[in-house]
Amino acid sequence: MVWTCIRKASLIAICLVPVIAAAGKNPQNGALPITTKSRQVRQLLDDAWRLNLDQVQQAEAIEVLQKAIKIDPNFAFGHLLLSQCSLDPAEQVREQQKAFATRAHASSGERMVIDWFQNAADHKLIPAITDMNEVLSRYPHDRWVVFLANWWLTQQTQYERAVAVFERSGITDSPGLMNNTAYTYAYMRQFDRAFALMEKYVAALPKDPNPQDSYAEILRMAGHYDQAIQHYRAALAIDPQFYSSQFGIADTYALMGDEKRARHEYQIGFRKFASLPELHRVQWQTREATTFVREDDYASADQAFEVIADQAHAKAMSQVEADTYRQMAIYQPDAKQALRFLDKAEAALRQGKNAMPFAIQQEMAQVLRARVEAALKSGNRKMATATLARLAMLSRNSDDKVIESAYHGAAGAALFADHKYNGAMSHLEEDINNPLSLQLLVAAYQKVGYGAEAKRVSETLASLNDPSLEQAVVVPGFRKCYQDPSCGSAFKDAALKK
Amino acid sequence: MRLWRFWLLISIIALASTAYARQFAVIADTNNSVISVTSAELVKIFSGHTRSWPDGRPVKVILRDPSSAEMELAARKLFNMSGDQARAFARAHSDMITIADSDDTVIRFVSTTRGAIGVVDLYSLTKDVHVLKVDDKLPVEQGYFLRGN
Repeated sequence: MVWTCIRKASLIAICLVPVIAAAGKNPQNGALPITTKSRQVRQLLDDAWRLNLDQVQQAEAIEVLQKAIKIDPNFAFGHLLLSQCSLDPAEQVREQQKAFATRAHASSGERMVIDWFQNAADHKLIPAITDMNEVLSRYPHDRWVVFLANWWLTQQTQYERAVAVFERSGITDSPGLMNNTAYTYAYMRQFDRAFALMEKYVAALPKDPNPQDSYAEILRMAGHYDQAIQHYRAALAIDPQFYSSQFGIADTYALMGDEKRARHEYQIGFRKFASLPELHRVQWQTREATTFVREDDYASADQAFEVIADQAHAKAMSQVEADTYRQMAIYQPDAKQALRFLDKAEAALRQGKNAMPFAIQQEMAQVLRARVEAALKSGNRKMATATLARLAMLSRNSDDKVIESAYHGAAGAALFADHKYNGAMSHLEEDINNPLSLQLLVAAYQKVGYGAEAKRVSETLASLNDPSLEQAVVVPGFRKCYQDPSCGSAFKDAALKK
Repeated sequence: MRLWRFWLLISIIALASTAYARQFAVIADTNNSVISVTSAELVKIFSGHTRSWPDGRPVKVILRDPSSAEMELAARKLFNMSGDQARAFARAHSDMITIADSDDTVIRFVSTTRGAIGVVDLYSLTKDVHVLKVDDKLPVEQGYFLRGN
């Protein structure tokens, strides 16, 4: 027998009726019928929501979902959720496949959700969109549907739509959805709305550290560094083991320009939390290494990044190794040295250990993009053209957003170098998530006299507060010249009178 | 803390408030046998030079207000006009062109009107309509006509 649950705001399952009857009668206002024979699995699903969405204890949520599908291996929707929550690329793909393989056991609504994500995984974007809109039209108030749509649309950089899904849902009491939507508002730089949701999130879960941690991160995105640190400390006061907040403090000092203090805080984190998940460790080691780039101390940066690359190599994490060398290439003042690091990145990718094919392709696109830029910088047009052709081929054979953006960034840089500013603009506008492209876009707008556009993108770039390497390479210098157009650095072209 | 996935390691940063490329889909009713049009044919349809389909059915055009910021690209490419000019043109040809208040309205009209053709944001698509290729390209393909800023 197949059952469905309709949940009220209390999140308690209150009725059990056959799925087909429920779905057939009034799907417009109903919950997505969840198909499992096990009451325990239903309880675990609620636990997974609380852990994954409300508290963002992702590792624990993954364990709960793994338990649920062990109890009910035919729980197709559980496989789908695990594929989306997992931090392990191999598990993501495996669970997506299991969701599709077990979809015959699922309700029609669940099948639509599974088809949507399967199409997305297969890079069939139009069917994925139509599946999503079908699910949303049938279950606009279901929390799982709202979460998945918000999550997927945000990945697609469709922020306005992601927010609209939440606002139309009428769900006002879900801490997890408040958290997700606040981030979406922050990506749109609508910080007042993001802060308002954060206030509600903190009030809803006053004894949990994540609301304070999220509030801190969004304050930092808005440039309110001191307040961000206060909220990170509040999170640690609630739960001293909430390592994200310790590293959040370090990231914030890095953005403030206090690199010594930032490194001190990273080290506290690494000492205190010795058993960090591997990918989180890599992330914060990379940010610590980036503090040297912020100080223009490239020798120390090289040493720190080499340690990460060596560790990744020893642990056969090919993509991480490649990405580390790619980042090293980006900040190198000497283009020939950059090209040597990119050779190492490509060699690591050829090993392809412990990485899914799509991830290798995405990384390869990033590496090729960096190679085009390094070739242009070294004046080697032949290499730039040949590399761009490789990247174009990769992009033509895929509709992967990361690969496509990498191609547009590289093509825009090549056209800019040829003084073909109009052509450069149309490519660079397709890669707006990368500060390197934004910087060129500002300059291209200026060259063709698009003052208003240049000013708007300049403001965005100057107010970018993300602890990434690209931010470290571009934004501090850009910001300096944005405020003082008489500065004499390489960023002079980007300077604008306010 | 936000939810985190491995691929984010290389997807860098989300920056939204800058302009992002728009992708429009050209849609027709599911009974329409046409599957592909050229960009030149499309411009002729929207500018009123082509008023019937190959099977003789009259063309009915529908889109959101071309003078709105979101539709600027569509106005420029489909009418070869500014947004305001395109709106004035549409009003002067209201027998053939309808201005809708939302993508949902466009889709509803196209799905229920034989001979209708409309333009919607890619992410508004539903199964009620079919997507026409333009110059043999779907909206997700590189070099698609109705894509850009």
